[in-house]
Formats: sequence, C-alpha cells, structure tokens
Amino acid sequence: MSASIDNPHFLLRRLHSLLGLLPVGAFLIFHLWENSQSRFGAEHYNEHVVAALKGMNYLPLMEIFVIALPLLFHAGYGLVITAQMRAELARYSYTRNRLYWMQRVSGIGILLFLLMHVGMTRIAGFWDPNVGDDLFAHMQALLSQPWMLGLYLVGLLLSVFHLANGLASMAIVWGLTTSVRAQALFGWVCVLIGLLLAAMGVHGLMGFLS
Amino acid sequence: MTEQSIHLRIRRQDRSDSGPYWQDFAIPAHADHNIVSLLMALRENPVTVSGQRVDPVVWEHNCMEEVCGACAMLINGVPRPSCSALVAELDQPIRLEPLPKFPVVRDLLVDRRRIDQGLKQVKAWIKIDGVWDTHEGAPRIGPAEWAANYLYSRCMSCGCCMAACPQFGSHSAFLGPAPLAQARLMNAHPTGRYDKAERLHAIMGDGGLSDCGNAQNCVRVCPKEIPLTTAIGELGRQTTVQMLKDIFGPR
Repeated sequence: MSASIDNPHFLLRRLHSLLGLLPVGAFLIFHLWENSQSRFGAEHYNEHVVAALKGMNYLPLMEIFVIALPLLFHAGYGLVITAQMRAELARYSYTRNRLYWMQRVSGIGILLFLLMHVGMTRIAGFWDPNVGDDLFAHMQALLSQPWMLGLYLVGLLLSVFHLANGLASMAIVWGLTTSVRAQALFGWVCVLIGLLLAAMGVHGLMGFLS
Repeated sequence: MTEQSIHLRIRRQDRSDSGPYWQDFAIPAHADHNIVSLLMALRENPVTVSGQRVDPVVWEHNCMEEVCGACAMLINGVPRPSCSALVAELDQPIRLEPLPKFPVVRDLLVDRRRIDQGLKQVKAWIKIDGVWDTHEGAPRIGPAEWAANYLYSRCMSCGCCMAACPQFGSHSAFLGPAPLAQARLMNAHPTGRYDKAERLHAIMGDGGLSDCGNAQNCVRVCPKEIPLTTAIGELGRQTTVQMLKDIFGPR
C-alpha cells in the first residue's frame, strides 16, 4: 500500500537531499568557520582550533558517522543522479538550466578535490604526526605553492556553490518554496549565503599565508 | 500583401529505423502563414530548391488554435506548437525538426505515447463512479482555488515541456512535467482528492517526482504558460507530508 516506503527510490533521493544539508553542509560551514581562525596565527590555530578538536572524545566515531559515511552516500548517489543528466545548455541557456548543470559538474569537481584534500591532511597525518601537530605550518607550506592555492580556491568555491545552489533546489524538492516569486526570493537568499561562506573560506585560506 | 519566397529547412526521416536527412524548400507564399498552413502549401507542390519532386512532408495537426497539442515540433531549435508559430516572426531559413526525446515515426511525426503512459501512471483522472453515492455533485470550491486549478487544466499534452527537460528521454524513466502537473490538478479536485494518496504514491516510485532536477526549462517553453515548476514544488510539499504519513502513520 505505502509505495513510498516499499520502493526505496523516493526515500533514497530525499535522504541524498537531506544529508547534503545535514550533516555534510553543516560540516562545511563549521569547517570554514574553524579554518577562518588561521587569521589569529599559528599558535592560536594549532592549540585552540586543531588540538581542541583532536582532544574531543569519540572523535573517530564522529568522523566516520557524521562526516565520512554521509559524505560518501551523498557523493555516490550524486554520481547516479549526474548520470541522468542530458543538459542542452546551448539550446536552453536559462539561468536555472545552467545551475542544474553546474550543480552536477561541481559535485564531480568537489569529489576529486576532496580525495586530494583529505589525502593530504587527514590521511597524511596517519603516518606523519607532524601534519597534525603543526597543521598550520603544513597548510602554509602547501598553500605557498600558487597552483595548490589555485586548486584550494577552486575546491572551496565549488563546494560553497554546491551548498548554496543545493539549498535553493532543496527548498523546491521538499516543498518549502512553490511559487515563482518564493523560489526567486529564496534563490537570492542562497546567493547571499554563498557569498558569505565564500568570503569566510577565502579569508581562512589567506590566513595561512599571512 | 505581396507574395515572397519563404525558405524552409526540414529534417526528414523516411522510417522510424532509417537515418535523418535535410531538405530545403522555397515556397512562394504570403508572410501571414503559420507553420501548419505553410506545410499545407508545401504539400500542394513538394519540390525542393534543387527542383526535385519529393514525398510530401508528414506531420500532425488538428485544431489550428493551440488547444490540441498535436502539431508541436522543433522550430528554429525551440519546441513549440507549429500552428501558433507565425512565419512573419521567424528567422529564415526556418528550421523544422521533429519534437526531440520522442521516437520519430516519419518526418515531423513522432510517437508521443509516453505522455499518455505518464498520465496513466499518475492516474490523471477523476473517478466519478464508485462505491459511494454519486447523486450529489462534488463539493463546490472557492474562486481563488478554481483560478489556480484552471491554469493546469489548459495543458494540451503537446510534449514541449518534456522535449526541453534534461531529465526526460529514452535514457530515463522520468514521467516529465506535464503528467506531474496533472497529478497536481487532479489532487486539488473536490472528488479527485479522494485518490490523492494513490496519485502521490505513483509519483513517489521509479520515474516519479524525485527524478526532476529543477532545471526549470519546462516552464520556459510551455506554450500555455502553465506554472509547471509551481506544481512540482506543491507536489514536493504533498509528497513530504505523504512520506511522513507513510512512515509514522496514520495513512
């Protein structure tokens, strides 16, 4: 009788949508806020940001269940969704159509960036304790290379775009915004959210170079 | 009004399993033609610009007043009904192609059965015969709700929204915007709302609402200006509530 729970199609897509905001999107905001504190110098960053987090109880469990698994599901199911896309940008050059295409392309870009980013920080820390003990110096050395700074900027902006645009389409998917006016207004709210997060993220990246 | 030569480029296809090819025609005619009447004029004398007499072009048309939806095709790259496409307003050469995403039968005639299948899948009808007493008419609805519902009742199943949808096509099971909008309309009907849960369950399955990617091309190309994306948002809300009912009860 209840086709919506007997057939997982609908629930999986809604789960993908929900996880994009909670916890993945929320973690991105937290992560950018934390790293914006690179501005306060190596000592403050290493002791009050990194060491404080590393000292949390149950940290590995949280990393696995709150960050890694939701992110992996969101990325994996996102690739399935991306495979359904047959965008014709030249024929239908409307903004929403471009955003639809960009949401999927940015998802693939973010996935590639995260493989590199997590590998060079969290995974590298497993066999080189210096990475975690003086993360500030590690990040400073990485970001001092212009091409690496470029990669980080691209990864950051793609992630922020993906979250902001994802919020706008999430509002339609769950039925929060229905009228054209509501969808357009909330779209602008998401632009503002995206700009603020991008500014916070760039501010944090630059903090490692000062 | 003086006669002039109207330049047409038509993408033709002899059989559903043969390859497409282009033919050019110059039709001496007045500029006040629409595409259907122009194709009728071409049918009288189907000779290409190189002087070759060819088979008349096959296409569908019926009402000539943009209410039947039969004559939709790709005109200068845009999916739209050909009866309301005025030659005077089109850049020449006018390129005519079959409506994309639907299998070509011949020339500009496509098989649009998937629209009907979608309408069947979402149960886009009102059951007037049932186990309940139907002697009394359906409850009346207010003028504001009537006005909102009327917008969706204008759908003529032309398929333009589905042709423009990046999620719809032979690669996917997605129903497309038009059948979804009809589910929205029937769910709002005083008698139709008795089957609301059944319709919502139908669009919560494979190829249903969640296959929409919110590219919103549909609402841009709809010749009847139906608020398809609003219907999709409203169905999003209805399915959210239905999902909570399905999980936590009561149904």
